[in-house]
Amino acid sequence: MLPANKPPATAGGSPTPPVKGQQSLSLELPVVKTAPATIASGATPVTRLWLCIHLPALPLEALHRDSGDIARAVFDDQDGIPKVLLASDAAIAAGIRPGFSVNAALALLPALELEQRDSQCERRTLLSLAGWAEQFTSFVVIEVPDILLLELAGSVRLFDGLQKLRQAVSRGLGEQGFSASLAIAPTPLAATWLTKAGRRICIQDAANLTSALSALPLTCLDWPLPVCESLYGMGISRVGDCLRLPRQGFAKRFGVSRLLQLDRALGRLPDPRDSYRTPEYFVADHELDEELSNSDLILNVCQLLLQKLEHFLLTRQLAVQRIQFSFFHLQHPATSLPLGCVQADRAVDHWLDLLRIHFERLPLPAAAIAIRLRADQGQPMSAATDVLQFTKKDRQRRNLSIAHLIERLGARIGIESVHGVSTVAEHRPHYAWRPELMLDRLPQCEALSADFAKVRRPLWLLSKAQPLAVRDGKPFYQGVLVLEDGPERLETGWWDEDGIARDYFVAANPKGARFWIYRNRSKDRDWYLHGMFG
Amino acid sequence: MAGFAELHALSNFTFLRGASHPEELVETAAKLGYEALAITDECSLSGIVRAHVTAKDCGLKKLIIGSEFRLDSGLKLVALAQSRAGYAALCGVITRGRRAAEKGSYKLTADDFADGLPGCLLLWIPGRQLTLLPEDVWILERFHKRLWIAVELLADGLQRQRLERLRVLGDTLELPLVASGDVHMHCRERRAIQDTVTAIREGVTLDQAGFALYPNGERYLRSLATLQTVYAADLLHESRAIASRIDFSLDEIRYEYPHELVPDGETPTSYLRYLTEIGMRRRWPEGVSEKVLALVEHELKLIRELEYEFFFLTVHDIVAFARSQHILCQGRGSAANSAVCFCLGITEVDPARMATLVERFISKERNEPPDIDVDFEHERREEVIQYIYKKYGRERAALAATVVTYRPRSALRDVGKALSLSGLQIDKLARSMQWWDGKEVDDSRVIEAGLDPQSPVIRRLLYLVRQLMGFPRHLSQHVGGFVISNGPLSDLVPVENATMKDRTVIQWEKNDLQDLGLLKVDVLGLGMLTAIRRSFDLIKDFDGRDFTLASVPAEDPQTYDMICDGDTMGVFQIESRAQMAMLPRLKPRCYYDLVIEVAIIRPGPIQGDMVHPYLRRRNGEEAVVYPSEEIREVLQRTLGVPIFQEQVMQIAVVAAGFTPGEADQLRRAMAAWKRRGGLEPFEEKLISGMRERGYDESFAKQIFKQILGFGEYGFPESHSASFALLVYVSCWLKCHTPAAFTCALLNSQPMGFYSASQLTQDLRRHGVEVRAATVNHSSWDSSLEKSDNNQAVLRLGLRQIKGLSENAGRRIADERLAGPFRSIQQLLERSGINRREMNALAAAGALKTIAGHRHKARWAVAGVEEPTPLFTSMDSVEVTPMLRRPTEGQNIVADYKSLDLTLERHPLALLREYLDGYGYVQAADLKKIPTGRHVHVAGLVITKQRPGTASGVTFVTLEDESGFINLIVWKKTADEQRDALLNARLMGVDGELQIEGKVVHVIARKLHDHSALLGELQVRQRNFR
Repeated sequence: MLPANKPPATAGGSPTPPVKGQQSLSLELPVVKTAPATIASGATPVTRLWLCIHLPALPLEALHRDSGDIARAVFDDQDGIPKVLLASDAAIAAGIRPGFSVNAALALLPALELEQRDSQCERRTLLSLAGWAEQFTSFVVIEVPDILLLELAGSVRLFDGLQKLRQAVSRGLGEQGFSASLAIAPTPLAATWLTKAGRRICIQDAANLTSALSALPLTCLDWPLPVCESLYGMGISRVGDCLRLPRQGFAKRFGVSRLLQLDRALGRLPDPRDSYRTPEYFVADHELDEELSNSDLILNVCQLLLQKLEHFLLTRQLAVQRIQFSFFHLQHPATSLPLGCVQADRAVDHWLDLLRIHFERLPLPAAAIAIRLRADQGQPMSAATDVLQFTKKDRQRRNLSIAHLIERLGARIGIESVHGVSTVAEHRPHYAWRPELMLDRLPQCEALSADFAKVRRPLWLLSKAQPLAVRDGKPFYQGVLVLEDGPERLETGWWDEDGIARDYFVAANPKGARFWIYRNRSKDRDWYLHGMFG
Repeated sequence: MAGFAELHALSNFTFLRGASHPEELVETAAKLGYEALAITDECSLSGIVRAHVTAKDCGLKKLIIGSEFRLDSGLKLVALAQSRAGYAALCGVITRGRRAAEKGSYKLTADDFADGLPGCLLLWIPGRQLTLLPEDVWILERFHKRLWIAVELLADGLQRQRLERLRVLGDTLELPLVASGDVHMHCRERRAIQDTVTAIREGVTLDQAGFALYPNGERYLRSLATLQTVYAADLLHESRAIASRIDFSLDEIRYEYPHELVPDGETPTSYLRYLTEIGMRRRWPEGVSEKVLALVEHELKLIRELEYEFFFLTVHDIVAFARSQHILCQGRGSAANSAVCFCLGITEVDPARMATLVERFISKERNEPPDIDVDFEHERREEVIQYIYKKYGRERAALAATVVTYRPRSALRDVGKALSLSGLQIDKLARSMQWWDGKEVDDSRVIEAGLDPQSPVIRRLLYLVRQLMGFPRHLSQHVGGFVISNGPLSDLVPVENATMKDRTVIQWEKNDLQDLGLLKVDVLGLGMLTAIRRSFDLIKDFDGRDFTLASVPAEDPQTYDMICDGDTMGVFQIESRAQMAMLPRLKPRCYYDLVIEVAIIRPGPIQGDMVHPYLRRRNGEEAVVYPSEEIREVLQRTLGVPIFQEQVMQIAVVAAGFTPGEADQLRRAMAAWKRRGGLEPFEEKLISGMRERGYDESFAKQIFKQILGFGEYGFPESHSASFALLVYVSCWLKCHTPAAFTCALLNSQPMGFYSASQLTQDLRRHGVEVRAATVNHSSWDSSLEKSDNNQAVLRLGLRQIKGLSENAGRRIADERLAGPFRSIQQLLERSGINRREMNALAAAGALKTIAGHRHKARWAVAGVEEPTPLFTSMDSVEVTPMLRRPTEGQNIVADYKSLDLTLERHPLALLREYLDGYGYVQAADLKKIPTGRHVHVAGLVITKQRPGTASGVTFVTLEDESGFINLIVWKKTADEQRDALLNARLMGVDGELQIEGKVVHVIARKLHDHSALLGELQVRQRNFR
């Protein structure tokens, strides 16, 4: 998702707006030019200017922004066969071409670094670029998978002319390591098509659209292959050829929607678009009238903030799992207090409980002058946290209370110190269980017992087996050990660096204590104590 | 010391459970001194014949045949065949279980054991819980007095408790206990492999496999001393007692031919003679020569002595069916080229043509089972198969199995996954190891794949891959090997489902059948037979001449002239580039020359370095000498150079003192050595045997090298002789009826080396007119038309058009009988084809006569409305736009796209002016340039071939408007210019011209990728290995 602290539009980073209106300088590229041809109704035409950013290498650049010298390629499954989608310059120079099967590419260049395409990552990158582009205009359109459209008409003056604005965008993209092609046109479709055709031009006058678009090949239209093939078959390979066809006949063969698309591109029809908006997350500040160091008063303010959060979440049917309080001080850096709970929640009381426990132990270096609460992006409210839950099954109630117990325990001794135990299907005793962080997963109590039943295992397993003394050829531990059951031979784990080959026995000493001991099957044949039976 | 019989052992034919070959288990059991070993693969007898053969070789006291079953209730049993009847019952229950489930699995319920498996002894393998369901008890009661409880103590820590409970259980149920080992491997070192195949089976990594793995490696063949520490003496003793009650060996299997082939009142011998005599009169209507009569008498005597009558009768019956259906067929194999087979119609090779051949193929001394494969037209083989199923019933006829084994690549893939390597890492490794023979792995290859050869993971990986290679992976069906028996096959061998619906396979493969003396008939499909039959049909329709394989004029000099020119595109076998290059040097002038030609350009003779000596001797550049008189006998017909598999075997007999039986073993070992090795003892014996008999050491070594070369690709003379007939017939057809032959080839595609484009270009270069496919002239198939001066002209069929279904194509042709189509709308209404197919026709230019040029046709077709039930005709009037006429270039591109060929000029003709600027020479002009010169050539890349035998050389064929250019790209050049080699569709080459007689090559130095000049032209390329 978007980086949380997006700079406000006026903050540093964006070019400073011109101090005085230098109208004369923009004569070369006048922004608003009345285009008589489009004035049909006599109403004031709203001339828009669309800058299209096409990122043809996004699948590669979303993963690596430094691919120039490294032979790298992104692949994707096409009809079940992994095929190269995009290759870096170095890879192209080595003969790799998009469309190669991964095997063919590796045959050509065994050192090729190959990665699976990550559409999610591309989306994230595109989103963050959209956020970045908001510094140039308030109207940014995202066209998945690889296009951004910026409506610039209103920004031209701010940036001292269209040319400079375009340069600023281009430079910014370059600095971030994206290879992009840009074009400007009065309609979004025209800008898109021009960009896709690699025409880095700037058309401001709608009257010039027809001639500019006519020269474009059909490939830049993103029409489905069968449609294009059909058109090629009639000797039609450019947009201009299409425009010469009879409208009726064209619509009959290729669909009305494509005809309308052409009209929209030429500006004959409106083409409304939705602007992208930065996703919402909750941040609320409370400035204190005076410096506060009284816990109760501070907590009261926090409660106010939590109520705001609850309201925010309620209206959006959301809940959050992690929140963070920041306490600002006059002379010190802010103190932050992150809180997390097992299940996403929005209830004020719940969060307040947690806050109280933590706040008690939080050393504030100085009095607070302001408090900020921010929350993660919300997630859909899950039914399980609903209060009505208590009328349902007992087990769920118990789990819920276990969850709260864990939170409280964690709040006191640190959540990292609270563990559960789960079994692992594994013959090696020391791998047959694992601790589990409780915040991530509620313990599955019923799962614990089942797998242990098959074999005899002591409940107390030493974390490290302890060598045993041998007397008269017999293992010795608080007395001579008598082997009762066994051997249970365990030979496994050869595939990692921790293979074992042991004969385990249940053994008793003269005092009647029972032990789990083993003898190595390797050369030394040594005896070890590994566990104790209750 | 008390002995022991292991009664529960799985081999790796229990796929992905067992971790040892059956041979290894048997050998180890023999070595350990076991009283007996039972191979009890899970619901399978696939590995049993190998075990049987090995048991005889290594002297295992007793091999018991059994199988493990897990019923759907969870009950686990092992059944052991006590007698022949028990064996049949065992095969029966396996067949039932396998047939009831999908391929690769089985399903058995209590009902399947209702008959109690008479003649079998059973072990119950209790699970951990020791509980029995009522239906389990019901089953166990069926086995009264024949059932034991298996006590399998495998060091799981609870063995004492388990034994106690089993004793109690035994007392309660009144069942005796017996020791057994749940053996999965022959030695405990296979533990890693056993774990690995378990992970592969479960589809998880070893890390994730958890309790699916066994906790230890106790499931191996333990020594008697170890067993005595684990089991009480009575349990061990009981195993011997059970073994001693078993008295059955696979040697008792008697195979019987289907009896219905012999009419009442006839004996097999008399009936075969009767059929042969009828055939003789058919073959030689004007009378049989003394020589042939004597030959037939001689063969019939031999057949009677070897009791092969039924085999010949079976094949005759199948071939007679095919002939009755006008399906062309041709037999090959050791027995196929006999006078009797010629009389019976099994082969069309006249023994007169092969004067000396027959005696060599059926030999009493060698005691080989007769071997006849019959090739049928590939498109009609299914009819023959269905006939066999119908005649003998599914329970009496089934296909032989093929055991698919792990190869380096598949082993690497599966082991890599188990060891948690990423798919990409595995791909890289597999890629860099495609050459790997499984013995040595070069570290640099591992490094090239981006992995560290010293890392433990890689070392483990390579170790495991080496072990796993050759392990059976699953059963597949043999291409066409049928086993037909007199009684139900499932009394003989279990039968299971094949992947193909309605196909069943037996659990044994070809070698197993041979080992047990079971006979199979190979029913194979051959594309060239289809093409030849079509040629015959076309000629008959065209000018009434009626040919058969046997009646095509023999030894025609014109045909041999054509062959000597290497002008053999499209014919059988000798059409590859290597063959074409060899023909002008070998200059075949008679039938037997063709037999040699077919066999010589193969990996075997090439690897054995036999080709050039033969060429030199044939051209008189080298004296033909024989090390001895015996060798002269064997090698005279091939000028002292061993070319055929049979010759190598015969040399082993006459020069190294092998018995015919040993020679046969050698032949089998040859086929398997790549997989398992095992030729060393033969090498020793062969070389020392020849040295003792005074032969040169180097000659002996050369013979052995040849044997290795034959290993995987050995080509016997008996097959070559039959193939040569098809070579000759196809060449004769190409020479004398080129239009019909090409037409037949086009209608039989895909087959052979060459595309439709090359075949039609070749035909046009031979002066035959080829006409375009159009809806108003073409049928579905390509056809022959008559030109004004009565010459045959090829009319392309609608089948050539991409995107047109056969159904639609045939409807168009049928509908045209009522008169030509006048408009698109009419075509649509009359033929009822859909818009997509109309579009395909328009794209192919097949509507030219009714809708004008392609662009117009496409526009018109895109606008037609498909008729609806209410409004059949919707001839709406609309504006037709001005559409540009396609240029020649556009037409060529469109032709290739939709027909894979063009009848316009060759694309390079359009580019010639431009290519001239580069100084590129045309293919046809190369012959005029002196050899050794530096030349520039350019052409469309039509084939790339990198044969395994040519040490990294890539053979590229370019095509321009005047013909072909054969490139040789050395490995170094290829490595340095991989980009151009891989990606160029239009390739320019600077290189050195090499002319040797009529053979022209260009040794490539510098490759240029001119593909951009082609624009969108896509030419189909074929790449071979």
